[in-house]
Amino acid sequence: MANVTLNVNGKLRTASVPPETTLLKLLRDHYNLTGAKLGCDVGDCGACTVIVDGMPVNACLMLASQADGREVLTIEGLATSDQLHPLQKAFEDHASLQCGFCGPGIILSAKALLDETPNPTVPEIRDALSGNLCRCTGYTKMIEAIQAAARVLREEPAERDA
Amino acid sequence: MKRRGRGIACMWYPIGFTVAANPSAAVVKINEDGTATVLTGTVETGQGSLTVLGQIAAEELGIATDDVHVVSADTDATPMDTGAIASRTTYVTGNAVRLAAGKAKAILFEVAAPMLGVKPDQLEARDRKIQVKDYPQRNLALGEVANHAQVVMGQPPIGAASFNPATVALDPETGQGKPFSTYVYATQIAEVDVDDETGEVEVLRIVAAHDCGTAINPMLVEGQIEGGISMGVGFALQEEILFDDAGRQINPSFTNYIMPTSLDMPAIEVDIVKSFDPTGPFGAKGVGEPTAVPTAAAILNAIHNAVGVRITSLPATAEKVLAAIKAKRAQEPKRIAARARQPGS
Amino acid sequence: MARKTDIGEREQRVTQKTLHSVDETLRLPAVTPPVTYPIETLVPQVRQQTPAVGQRATRSDGRMHGLGQTRYIDDLAFPGMLYAKIKRAGIASARIKRIDTREAEAMPGVMAVLTGREIPVNSFGPSLKDQPVLADDRVFHAGDGVAAVAAVTEQIALEALDKIKVEYEPLPAVFDPLEALKDDAHKVHAPNSNVYATKIIKKGDIDKGFAASDRIFEGRFRTQMVEHVPLEPHATIAVWDPNGRVTIYSTLGRITLGRADVARTLKMPINRIRIIATIVGGNFGGKNEITQEPVLALLSKKTGRPVKGTFTRTEEFIATTTRHPIIMDYKTGVSKAGKILARKVRLVLDGGAYCSWSETTLGKACILAAGPYNIDNLLAEAFVVYTNKTMTGAMRGFGAPQVCFAYESHMDDIACALNIDPLDIRLLNAFEEGSSSPTGQVLQSVVVKDSLLQAAQRFGWKEARS
Repeated sequence: MANVTLNVNGKLRTASVPPETTLLKLLRDHYNLTGAKLGCDVGDCGACTVIVDGMPVNACLMLASQADGREVLTIEGLATSDQLHPLQKAFEDHASLQCGFCGPGIILSAKALLDETPNPTVPEIRDALSGNLCRCTGYTKMIEAIQAAARVLREEPAERDA
Repeated sequence: MKRRGRGIACMWYPIGFTVAANPSAAVVKINEDGTATVLTGTVETGQGSLTVLGQIAAEELGIATDDVHVVSADTDATPMDTGAIASRTTYVTGNAVRLAAGKAKAILFEVAAPMLGVKPDQLEARDRKIQVKDYPQRNLALGEVANHAQVVMGQPPIGAASFNPATVALDPETGQGKPFSTYVYATQIAEVDVDDETGEVEVLRIVAAHDCGTAINPMLVEGQIEGGISMGVGFALQEEILFDDAGRQINPSFTNYIMPTSLDMPAIEVDIVKSFDPTGPFGAKGVGEPTAVPTAAAILNAIHNAVGVRITSLPATAEKVLAAIKAKRAQEPKRIAARARQPGS
Repeated sequence: MARKTDIGEREQRVTQKTLHSVDETLRLPAVTPPVTYPIETLVPQVRQQTPAVGQRATRSDGRMHGLGQTRYIDDLAFPGMLYAKIKRAGIASARIKRIDTREAEAMPGVMAVLTGREIPVNSFGPSLKDQPVLADDRVFHAGDGVAAVAAVTEQIALEALDKIKVEYEPLPAVFDPLEALKDDAHKVHAPNSNVYATKIIKKGDIDKGFAASDRIFEGRFRTQMVEHVPLEPHATIAVWDPNGRVTIYSTLGRITLGRADVARTLKMPINRIRIIATIVGGNFGGKNEITQEPVLALLSKKTGRPVKGTFTRTEEFIATTTRHPIIMDYKTGVSKAGKILARKVRLVLDGGAYCSWSETTLGKACILAAGPYNIDNLLAEAFVVYTNKTMTGAMRGFGAPQVCFAYESHMDDIACALNIDPLDIRLLNAFEEGSSSPTGQVLQSVVVKDSLLQAAQRFGWKEARS
């Protein structure tokens, strides 16, 4: 068994798991954080995207033991008890998600982009989402929402979360 | 060298099942404060049907979208529904919801009429009020009426209804008949760049004008059009399930089954064509499948316009387009340029 | 059927190591990390507006989606839940001589194995009931399920599939639909013909129409097999209660039909079955019929435990329905001015191993094949044939995307040859209010021309270089 200790959404968590357990299974099966989804399990679709040490990764390609000692941000860690993250609010206002399955992965890829590039161009946004497949929406309203959220985030530097 | 082309494609598409009965049933319950609950056996599969059904119920009851809660997808708790298929939900389930809401509203009118001193058919529901037609100042809050109905009169405002489109069976020899109650129409125009050295096609822009009857929620209609276009781009240029000689799929994975990513999507401009179908709920028809229908045709026509080759089998991969371009060049008679010599060379 | 005592014996044989790791993977940990989100209802103004129709109202599920709080079927878990996997044939056409499940059943952690002969009524389908729940005697395509396993972890279930030994007698197969049409082709579902449905639409007199035409154009168009590719793979959980009632959580777009199919295949009264779909992560037509629901229900009954099955992405491709490839032959006669005087269409649909939604697709494709155009003389014939490939079923458009590609490409070829603007030739021929459809239906609320003009205007069709 592999013993792992990691920071998930700001809280220190531990687990004792079979060594072949992926980070995705650790999040979904052990911590009941089912926001990250299993779409293909081989890193092609991006539905399992989470942010590890600031980088967006496919959780199905990372072993739980590789996440030992790292900071993991999942979709469940974006909102506070007071408000939605601007990305979540923008996605809601623009009806950017339809079936919603790719949503957590897309929103986290967008967050990773905006953390690096607060004023992205449309090609930069398309590039950031290129590892996330969506079959329902055609990405159009997601791009609009990300631009809207970027504007909000640029106007409120004090409330931007880590 | 990149060559630009544009192509147009129009289409028609039916709503509902071909001739066969495809009913939907719905229940609408008005709560004691004038909010409401809708029970529907349909399933939300991403298209936003529950939101749209809620808007239809809200419109019939004269309340707001957020006042309606929609319960779905449980065979124990919700009535039968033929399902989220054939672009039928807004039209068929929507009609069932509207009729059910109408029945619940009729109970409110029965109760409100004596309170306002009129007959039930003189009343209308609007802006969360039950009011007298043409005399809106004579009104009661809908919530008050609902509470009065249930708690004082003992008549909870609840309605159940079903709907099935009217069709006529097709003659087996000639196919003549009325297979569907209504159809929708659309046109998409694509603008592409074709690289005549690699055969790669880039879809730059698609303008889509779609008819959906009354657009119950224009934002969700746009979402369906954008999503349908993404499936159309994949169908036109990328996607294909390949089999080996023994009938086994060769590429059953995302690695080798190519489908559109955010990088493949064109700029999309949407126009909702004005139309009204009296047989649909508030004039609505549907839009789920039609959005994916004309895209491939528009793109392939644009390729033809750009480089003069007619690709007759999908997908129009770069290999196919390049091979067609080369074949066309090989056929063109060689012309010797008459004024090839430059002065001084 | 295994009795509960068998389950107890099986559980004793599971190694401590496996049990320990299973306990660790209990899907309902005692202390779940709390998830924070605002509970205050921030209701967008647009959802408060009356009247409601026409509002750009935000979706009622939009917030849950963005928070990652929407519960899809794979997000659900039950105490003691087992995981099921299905063994796929891997051979396109064969007779099953023997299925040996003893080694798989003996594996520690495997709680039950199921084969086709244990299914009370082993056939289903939206129209023709030609598809088995699990292949029993014959395999018709490489993705056919031949056996299923329920085990304490997904890993063990997958390993157990390898231990199931199936002896096949390979049979001839046919893959090309035009080959399958021939009289001497291998009959997929012998003794029935490979052509399992046909449709014909006749209007006016095409011979007269062609005779009166100034030009006649012909073209053949083909489309490929594609998959719906919903992001969410098929997922199902079956749970029984002591009253012999089964609740099936499943990614089905049609729960009423699903319930009827489960009742039929398991020979149960309908009111003992409950189907719950929560929300489906993308359908597009691929989740409109049952796939593994009866299998999981029986595995759950055998083991006395809830059983969950999720399709792998590979199974999404090989074991669920796909879009019909169609070979389309068009012949159109036009006047010099581009008016269509006669059209003849022949469609051959690749119908895959089973009927599924092919009859509906055939019907729609045939009706729509002439395009949204006024054509007085029309003959449209359509055939769907069995082949030993993945079954073709309902996929967004039911044949419309394929025929639209054909008739609109064909229209542009005609326009080009006659030197007419593609927009103008369509405006010349398109339906109007009160036009007669190919089936003789008088059409209402017809806006084809409006859509053509609106799109052309927005695009700048008349201004752009042609």
